[in-house]
Amino acid sequence: MTNRRDFIKKSGLAVAGATLAPTLLPSGRLFASTGSRSGEHVVLVMFAGGVRHQESAGKRYLADAQPGETAEGNLLYNMLSGTPPNSQILYGTGDGSVAIPSILTTPLQAQGTLFNEVRAFNTGHYGALNSILQGSDPVGQGLRIRPVAPTIFEYLRRHGGYAASDVWFVGNSVGGSIPLLNYSSHPDYGIRYGANFFAPTITFHPNSQTYIGDMKTYHPESEWSPMLRLKSFLDSNFSMTDQQLDALGNTTEEKENIKLFMKEMNERTNSGTIDLPPATDSGDTFSMGYAVEVLKWFKPAFLCVNLNDVDACHNNFTSYIKAMHRADHAVGHLWNTIQSIPGMAGNTTLICIPECGRNDEPNAIVDSNGFVSFDHSDENSKRIFALLAGPTVPANLTLGSEGTAIGQVSDAMMTVADLLGVKEAVQQAGYTDPSAQSFFDLI
Amino acid sequence: MNMQELTPNTFSPKATAFAAAAAAALLQACRKSDDVFELETPLLYADNSSKTKLKTNEQFINILYTGLFQTAPTEDYLSALSTILTSIGDQLLAREVVIANFFNTPDVQLPSMEEMRGNVGAFVEETYKNFYLRLPGAAEKAWVTQFIESQPEYTPELVYFAFALSNEYLYY
Repeated sequence: MTNRRDFIKKSGLAVAGATLAPTLLPSGRLFASTGSRSGEHVVLVMFAGGVRHQESAGKRYLADAQPGETAEGNLLYNMLSGTPPNSQILYGTGDGSVAIPSILTTPLQAQGTLFNEVRAFNTGHYGALNSILQGSDPVGQGLRIRPVAPTIFEYLRRHGGYAASDVWFVGNSVGGSIPLLNYSSHPDYGIRYGANFFAPTITFHPNSQTYIGDMKTYHPESEWSPMLRLKSFLDSNFSMTDQQLDALGNTTEEKENIKLFMKEMNERTNSGTIDLPPATDSGDTFSMGYAVEVLKWFKPAFLCVNLNDVDACHNNFTSYIKAMHRADHAVGHLWNTIQSIPGMAGNTTLICIPECGRNDEPNAIVDSNGFVSFDHSDENSKRIFALLAGPTVPANLTLGSEGTAIGQVSDAMMTVADLLGVKEAVQQAGYTDPSAQSFFDLI
Repeated sequence: MNMQELTPNTFSPKATAFAAAAAAALLQACRKSDDVFELETPLLYADNSSKTKLKTNEQFINILYTGLFQTAPTEDYLSALSTILTSIGDQLLAREVVIANFFNTPDVQLPSMEEMRGNVGAFVEETYKNFYLRLPGAAEKAWVTQFIESQPEYTPELVYFAFALSNEYLYY
């Protein structure tokens, strides 16, 4: 670690003056924060892909969804309190009959606060993910375009002064417009306030190393710094508007740190030493392993990770319950690991929230177990839950009940803003839902 | 390609190949599968003011790869690498990573130190034509020439890196 730090320090010093880097305050922030901060680190899990309330917070496993089935129980026993199903175990490893052991000895619900039923705004994945990150119902938000309103990443960086590498988004893939979520197209916010982003299933897939796994290393003083000086001159002769810029504003020091992280991830992917959840056999668990590595390396103020495998429910209910069980396993691993990260243990708040639910009634597709499948478009798809844990979150508290929603999806980002000191600025900006409020204000 | 006030071609044979390959690569990245294009002597921009269109990741990779390796990448390679680029949020950083990988490949075709040092002014002109498809302005040529001449250890690879990473190279 000493070598890495030395290299970063040298490279940062070497390029000083070569590029126009933002002024770093002693705190490591780019600009002065505008509000008081009650949390040090926040991790937001978009427990996404469309999680039906009945099988998640409702803990009814097959009983509600599948005609003639009676097995009930809690699939998410790292997150929620309650006993798992005692029959029809189909969501585990191997042939599905071996449930994945719980990682957490005390479920997050007992450690924190569960909002048992929360109102979602949108029943399409991209719109719904945007509603989490923007804190509003993204009316007019199309696919394949950036969020139309500012995201929590941009609020944090613009109003909280957080550096680019202090704000991360880890996506499950590059499909579904996911890579567009790290900043909006809003003219007052946008790329210069965006989050760093990786999609580990692509970025760190072993096959990707053929293409980006063999970076040449340049000496920070005698090679890299002069190269950047020439680039800076070349750029000075080509005018671009702010909207044309395509860099997030990572300083040279931050970029070198990120490149070192990528190198180490490639090496550790090869050696099989990535801190993956113990039962990693899915895209979500793979992604979570690298999200954990981002936390360990950068100790960011804010990281958002998106999961999505449960969307298999469109045509395979069995795959859906397997994916949900693994997503819970991934969250358990995340929280367990956070408690071992120096600087993050004991002062990190976790928020888990699906972006939307799924329909009450099934579609016509039946899987190999004879289970019907579910899309997401009706009112039942607006029934979700939210789970919080952390040092300032009341323990063992459950608010709301089935059919009695407390809170809405926009409250997740406002809670992040609250914890990290930008809530007032977000409210004053006026782009969030008028009813959006911090979950802490509902407790 | 959107070029205005075309300048007479003054490419050296090597630069012609480089720039023609780059132009062809850009066309290939945009073409429908049944189109047939032939290489023509590339035309030069009068200046950079008409470069307003951002290259896609595929175009960026295709043009750079073709220029550096004197051969076009396969479609699979192009598709895979552009997808990887998409998976990295900071696109400037992503391009640094890609270029640093290209320069760690033994097949990369770079001018030698002797070629560059033998006539730095001519090297600068060729590099502007290769990467920007235009001649440098007088002030540009003077600055870059002096910059290279003042640093004996500065290699053609670093010059190419700076051009490949520059903002103008992202536009056409």
